[in-house]
Amino acid sequence: MNAPIYLDHAATTPVRPEVFEAMRPFLGPRFGNPSSTHRWGREARAALDEARERVARCLGAHPDEICFTSGGTEGDNLAILGGWRVLKPLGRTAVVTSPIEHKAVLQSIHQAAHEGAEERLLAIDATGTVTMDSARTMVRTDTAICAVMWVNNEIGTIQPIAELATLAKSVGAIFHTDAVQAFGKVEIDAKKIPFDFLAISGHKIGAPKGIGAMFIRRGTALEPLFFGGSQDRGRRPGTENVAYAVALATAAEMTLAEHTLESARLTVLRDRLEAAILARIPDAVIHGRGATRAPHVLSVSIPGTDSESMLMALDLKGIACSGGSACQSGSVSASHVISALGVPADVASATVRMSLGSLTTDACIDRVAEVFPALALKARGLAAV
Amino acid sequence: MTKKARVLVAMSGGVDSSVAAAMLVREGYDVVGATMKLYRDGAEVPDKPCCSLDSVNDARRICERIGIPHYVLNLESAFGHDVVDDFVSEYARGRTPIPCVRCNTFTKFRDLVTKADAIDAQFVATGHYARIIDGALHRGADDRKDQTYYLWGIDRGVLPRTLLPVGEMTKAETRALATELGLTLVANKPESMDICFVPDGNYAKILSEKLGADAPSLSPGPLVTSDGRVVGMHDGFARYTIGQRRGLPGGYDEPMFVIAIHADERAVVIGPREELLGRGVVARGINWLVDPIPAVGDRVGVRVRHRSPIAPAEIIRLDGDEIELALDEPVSAIAPGQSLVLFDGTRVLGGGFIESSRPARTVRAHLPVLAG
Repeated sequence: MNAPIYLDHAATTPVRPEVFEAMRPFLGPRFGNPSSTHRWGREARAALDEARERVARCLGAHPDEICFTSGGTEGDNLAILGGWRVLKPLGRTAVVTSPIEHKAVLQSIHQAAHEGAEERLLAIDATGTVTMDSARTMVRTDTAICAVMWVNNEIGTIQPIAELATLAKSVGAIFHTDAVQAFGKVEIDAKKIPFDFLAISGHKIGAPKGIGAMFIRRGTALEPLFFGGSQDRGRRPGTENVAYAVALATAAEMTLAEHTLESARLTVLRDRLEAAILARIPDAVIHGRGATRAPHVLSVSIPGTDSESMLMALDLKGIACSGGSACQSGSVSASHVISALGVPADVASATVRMSLGSLTTDACIDRVAEVFPALALKARGLAAV
Repeated sequence: MTKKARVLVAMSGGVDSSVAAAMLVREGYDVVGATMKLYRDGAEVPDKPCCSLDSVNDARRICERIGIPHYVLNLESAFGHDVVDDFVSEYARGRTPIPCVRCNTFTKFRDLVTKADAIDAQFVATGHYARIIDGALHRGADDRKDQTYYLWGIDRGVLPRTLLPVGEMTKAETRALATELGLTLVANKPESMDICFVPDGNYAKILSEKLGADAPSLSPGPLVTSDGRVVGMHDGFARYTIGQRRGLPGGYDEPMFVIAIHADERAVVIGPREELLGRGVVARGINWLVDPIPAVGDRVGVRVRHRSPIAPAEIIRLDGDEIELALDEPVSAIAPGQSLVLFDGTRVLGGGFIESSRPARTVRAHLPVLAG
C-alpha cells in the first residue's frame, strides 16, 4: 500500500520539531509558575513575557494586546461574549456575523442573542464572500459587535476584513475576526487594519492543540469569561501555560518566515489538483472558485456522490480528507457553510474538503489527483444504478 | 497471505455486533466498522440507546481494540422517513408497528449495503441472531434469541453477501467469547429491549411530538366490548396494543384484554381471553426470501409475534403481495402491523405485515356509531 496522505491541514497540523524542542525545557527543568517571585518563577515569567512579545510582533501588536488562550474557540467566545457584555448596558443591542463562520463564532453569537441581542447575519455571495452592501445595512450605531472570519475554514475564501473593520469602527462597534485559518496565509497587521479583537490557534500552524492567542486592541473593554487570579491582566485568569505559549510563539514566527514561499508552493499544488479534478470531472463544483482564496483549501462537490462514502473510500485508500463540520459523534452532516452558498442539498452533501500544508508534497497531489476522480466516478456510477 | 474480502460491519456498540466484528477479524476478513447514527439524541433521552454518544464511543473503542477502522454513518434523514414516520402513522391507524423490521429492510440491508458498495466491501455483517446457509436465511441457533422475526423484509439478493457471525451461538456463548477476545468494554453490557428511538419506552411522547397532543389516536374514545356495549372511556387508542391487559376496567368474571382497535371510531375493543384467539391471518407487503415462492396449499410454520411458538398453518390464498393462512390451532393476540413470518423448518420463507386475523369463534361485532 502507498504511504498514507494527510490532506486535512485545516483540521490540524503536526507539531514542528523546532517547536517541540523550544517548549521542552518548560515541561522539565524550567517548570516554574510565572506568578511566583522566586527564581523558578522569574525564569518562567521571562519566557512567557518573551513569548508574548514574539506573538505580538507577528501580529503587528503591542505585547499587552496579546492574551494567551486555549485556542480558537476560547478566543472567539471571549471576544464576542466579552465585547457584547460590555456594550450591552451602553444600549448597543445588535450582534452581526456571517452565516459561514466557525461554530465557535456562531454559537457565541447565539449565546449573545440568548442574552438579549438582536442577531443579524450578513449576506454571502455565491463564491462565499461577505457582501459589503449587506454589511452597510446591518452594521449600525446600534451594533455592539461584528464578527467575521478572515479565511473560511471550509472553502478558503478570504473575507473583506479591512473594509468590514473600518465600517464597524465608523459606527463605534467592536470588530472581531477569527483568523485561525488566516494566520500565515494572509498578511495580518494590527497597525494597518483596525480590528479590535482577533483570534488565532496554535495547532493549525505547528504548535500543539490547546494553545491560542487573542489580540485585544488597547483601550477595548472586555468582560472576562473566567474569574480567578490576575493573570493576563485579569482578562484570562489561570496559571499560564508557559511551554505552550513558547510553542505558539515559535510556530508563529516560523510560519511567517516561510509564508511567502509556502503560500506560493501550496497555490501551485492546490491549482494543479483542482485542474486535475475538473479535467476528469468537468461538472465538479469547486466552492469559492472565483473568489480570493487562501492557498491551502480545496473544497469540491461531485454531484451524484455523497461525502460520507467518499471520505470512507478515500480513507481506506490512505487519503485523509474531511467533509463538512464533523460533529462530536464523528458523523458527517451537510455543512452550514456549503449550504449558505445556496447550492442544492445534493451538492452540499457531496462535499469533500482537501487542505494542504507542510506534509503535502508534489507526489501526494499527483496521487490524489489520480485516486480522487477515480473514486468519485466509481461512486457516481454506483449512484446511477 | 492473500487478503480476504472486505466486510462492512454495522456496530451498535453492543456485545453482539462487537463480537461479530472481532470474529470476522479473526477469520481474516478485511473488516471495516460503522456505527449508524439514526436519530438525534434529545436532551432528555437517557444516554444509553444505540445511537447515543456513549454507544458510538464504545463501538469506536472496540474497533480500535480489534484494529479496524471505524466510521459513523449519518442516516438520520432516511431513517426518519423510512422508519420513524411509518411508526407514527401505523399507530395513528390503530396498528402496532414493528420499526425494527423496516430498519433492517431499509436502513441496515439497503442503505448500509450502498455504503458497502462505495468502499468495495463485498460483504455486510451485523450482530443479528440468525444464520445464512447456502444463501438462505435461517433462524439463529439460539432459539430464544432468534431475530428472524425482524429480518424477513430484506432484499433476497443481499443474503449471499450477508454475514451473521453470532447466529451460530447462544447469547451466553457470545458474552463468553467477548470476554475471551478481550472485549471487556461490552462483554457484560446490559441488553436493550427498547425500540432504539424510544429509549424510555414512552412511545406516546413521540406520537404526541409528531402528531400533536390532540391527535385522534391520542384523544379519548370509547372502550367497548365485542357485542358493542360501551363500558368506559380510554385516553387514546394509540396507547393500546392487542393482547394488552393492563389499564383496562375490572369487575368482570374473567380477565379482559384488548382484542381490537378501530381507529375510525376511536374504539378500543376488549374481551375475554378466548376472543383474542385467531384461526386465520391475513398479511400484506409480502417479501419472499426463497425462489420459487410457496404455493397455495403448502404447509408452513408461522410466527405472529417475536418469540411466539412457531404455529403450523396452511397457505389458503396468495394474491399478489397479500397472503392468507389457516392456522391448525388458534393463536392468541394477532396484531395488525406486526410481522407474520413463514418458516420451513429453520429456514425463513418470507414474511409480511399482519393486516387482520380471522377470529376463532364468531363474535357479535356491532360497534357503536359515535354521535357527532
